[in-house]
Amino acid sequence: MSLDDDIAAWAATVRLPDAEAAAIFQRIVGTPAAVPPVTPRLDPSWWRHFTADFTVRMVASTRPVRQAA
Amino acid sequence: MDREAEFRRLYEAHRAAVHAYFTGRTGDPHSAADLMQDVFLRVWQHLEKLTDMPEDRQRAWIFTVARNLSVDAHRRQHTRAGAEQAVAHEPARPPPPASTAVIAAERVAVVGEAIRCLPEPQRVTLTMAAAGGMTSAELAAALGVPAGTVRYRLSLARRAVAEALDRYDDPTEK
Repeated sequence: MSLDDDIAAWAATVRLPDAEAAAIFQRIVGTPAAVPPVTPRLDPSWWRHFTADFTVRMVASTRPVRQAA
Repeated sequence: MDREAEFRRLYEAHRAAVHAYFTGRTGDPHSAADLMQDVFLRVWQHLEKLTDMPEDRQRAWIFTVARNLSVDAHRRQHTRAGAEQAVAHEPARPPPPASTAVIAAERVAVVGEAIRCLPEPQRVTLTMAAAGGMTSAELAAALGVPAGTVRYRLSLARRAVAEALDRYDDPTEK
């Protein structure tokens, strides 16, 4: 028996049996895939609404006050 | 993309090598199976990221995860392994005459014991080559060392196993 045969015979004793590998595969695919965490964020239109509203108020605040008749 | 089919492809391509890696690190095929499951669970959870990578980077990613996971397992085993290592350095006793089947089983045990006594880098490399069926180039990529280092480790490991078998075959030989 050659050295390679001896090492191969030993390797066969430590190799993972196919049935066990298949069982591990099934256990893994039975777990849910990672779902990216949902992070709270502002509505994307928030900034547009904010700046529009701010501009309206700024213009209104700098308009000369009309004297009451 | 069929997620499960893609995962199966990666699993079948790398499971033997990953299991052999952990067997080399821990010396225990059962612990190796548990650790292998942990690695492929992460592969399953990060499959989308992996499928975009070329094959060599997939292997590198998988073995980076494996190395990280093995650190804790290695620490846990350290105390027990230390005690076993002290016993392992005792020379093998000559076995009594036995049948062919028993001799074959004993030779496997001698090989296993010789491999268990190897320095870890040699043990892991030889186990991955023998049980994982990996080439020197694949081992180099997985372990992050030059292919020449892999070949050197394999050479030293094989020599140590051959010497253990020589002592078994001829117990009178020093």
